[in-house]
Amino acid sequence: MLGAFLSEWVKLRRRSMLLWGLGGTLFFTVLATLFTFERAVKTLTPGFHGHRFHVTIAELSRPNGLVHGIVDVSNLVGIVALALFAGATASEYSQGTLRNLLVRQPGRIKLLSGKFLAIALFVLIAIILAFVVAIAVAFAVGPGKGVHTSAWTSSSGLNDTFQAILHIYLAAIGYGVLGTALAVILRSPAVAITVGIAYALPGEQIILALWDNGNRWLPGQLLSAVAHGGTSVTSYSRALLIATLYAVVVAAGTLVMFQRRDV
Amino acid sequence: MVPQAAVVTSGLTKHFGQRAAVEKVDIELPSGVVSGFVGPNGAGKTTTIQMLLGLVRPTSGSARVLGHPISDPSAYLPRVGALIESPAFYPTLSGARNLSVLTRLGRLDRQRIDTVLDLVGLTERRNDLVRTYSLGMKQRLGVAAALLPDPELVILDEPTNGLDPAGIREIRSLLRDLADRGITVFVSSHLLSEIEAICDHLVMISRGEIVFQGGVTALLEAQRDALLATPEHPHDVPALAELCAGLGKPAHPEGDSVRVQAGEEWAAELNRQAMAAGITLKGLQAARASLEEAFFAITGDEAPPDPRDPRDPRDPRDPRDPRDPPDPPDPPDRPDPRDPPDPPMAER
Repeated sequence: MLGAFLSEWVKLRRRSMLLWGLGGTLFFTVLATLFTFERAVKTLTPGFHGHRFHVTIAELSRPNGLVHGIVDVSNLVGIVALALFAGATASEYSQGTLRNLLVRQPGRIKLLSGKFLAIALFVLIAIILAFVVAIAVAFAVGPGKGVHTSAWTSSSGLNDTFQAILHIYLAAIGYGVLGTALAVILRSPAVAITVGIAYALPGEQIILALWDNGNRWLPGQLLSAVAHGGTSVTSYSRALLIATLYAVVVAAGTLVMFQRRDV
Repeated sequence: MVPQAAVVTSGLTKHFGQRAAVEKVDIELPSGVVSGFVGPNGAGKTTTIQMLLGLVRPTSGSARVLGHPISDPSAYLPRVGALIESPAFYPTLSGARNLSVLTRLGRLDRQRIDTVLDLVGLTERRNDLVRTYSLGMKQRLGVAAALLPDPELVILDEPTNGLDPAGIREIRSLLRDLADRGITVFVSSHLLSEIEAICDHLVMISRGEIVFQGGVTALLEAQRDALLATPEHPHDVPALAELCAGLGKPAHPEGDSVRVQAGEEWAAELNRQAMAAGITLKGLQAARASLEEAFFAITGDEAPPDPRDPRDPRDPRDPRDPRDPPDPPDPPDRPDPRDPPDPPMAER
């Protein structure tokens, strides 16, 4: 598995991966942080329908205010992760390189697991870099908007920041499992990414419109709850437990299919 | 002591749905020689190779590679190098980094990258992105990738596709060199003339079934030889063919000549009979059967008409065309003129 892991890193260091993987994550987080501080208001007008898209300066001055923006776009970070996992795996089929890999590493489970772990580490690095940049942006623009930053550097603030990194990363890995499964099933990067995004964004919203309780059970909703550290509908621990069960089932099915299917 | 066969298959079969791609194939490849695997496109060559490499599960039957069952590819693949179908690489990685992906994956000695790139003449282009390589260069990189593990068995599927004549000659030389070093080479091709030039041993497959396996020389010697007689005047060709047929020797026109199914010892008699019939021969030579002719003789098929050959009277779209003798083998694929020229392979 170590061979597969090291081998995957040769590919992950490609300019295109750095551009779309790291660049995509950084772009969304910087944009979200800037947008969060730009939309900050002193008080929310009661009954204002747009309140969901606004945040108060007091909220941003809390310990978790530092990462408010990046947590808001955690679903987009998940989508980037889904695209990375799906693209990196499905392109081995579409380019025909999977055969070369399987001749050098016939242990298919080792190959796919090593590949997954390498991409997972890449995503972790991307998310940490995104947080570093987002935090720098927050410190740069926050005071100018009247936001007090002292709570951000308190122990509670640091704890909230590390928790947010962990939560977003775990959600991204969940999206990664989904992306890998789609890649193995569909064997085309374009189709796998399109189907994944179509499900995660409009797909679940349509299901939610038809199923009242869907936000407690649908994978995307659960991963969103994990990324946010829990929601009013689903607690963090429940969301993490069910999402993990889903991920284990999907990963097992993916490994069986990858193991048995002709290449 | 008789060396163990490198590959042995027994009743190896692969069905895709109702279609039988490979049907009860029994192959035994001797070690340390170049074995050719020939047959037309779609005959089952690639599927057979994929089963030997553990990429495709057989529907039934069994096989052993380097003494290990194909159900356990981890036991033998570290000692096998392979190029399967068209060479597949990461276009946005350099040639050397593409090989680095494989050396890291197989935990191979990274110094092998320099060795194999030198062997196939790509050292100067090692740091160029693969997307800038010509098809011939990609093919060479594929051969280099196959040689990375310093294998005991090399399996190459159509390795000369896209190569110019010089490149084909160099690949042939490389394969001979590998066999001389005791490496078993199993090379597939649909261009039978390529195989004829380099192989000691041959496996012929047609419609998923093995139709011949054994030594190349024995195969060609077993085929009936022919005489190629060329009359001075082309309008004598039909009369010469009739004359031969009347003497009990089947013959048919072939361009400005007549191919007569007879051994070399009948040449003098043919010359005398033609002279007596008022036909002057300006050429008379023995024409040994080519591998392609042997293949079609064994399978009972006819060679496909070559639309580029003006001497071939058959219309490739017309099933009513008479059965003509096989056409000369197609020339190797020509490289795209837009591709950059291939650097020469290293002299060995």
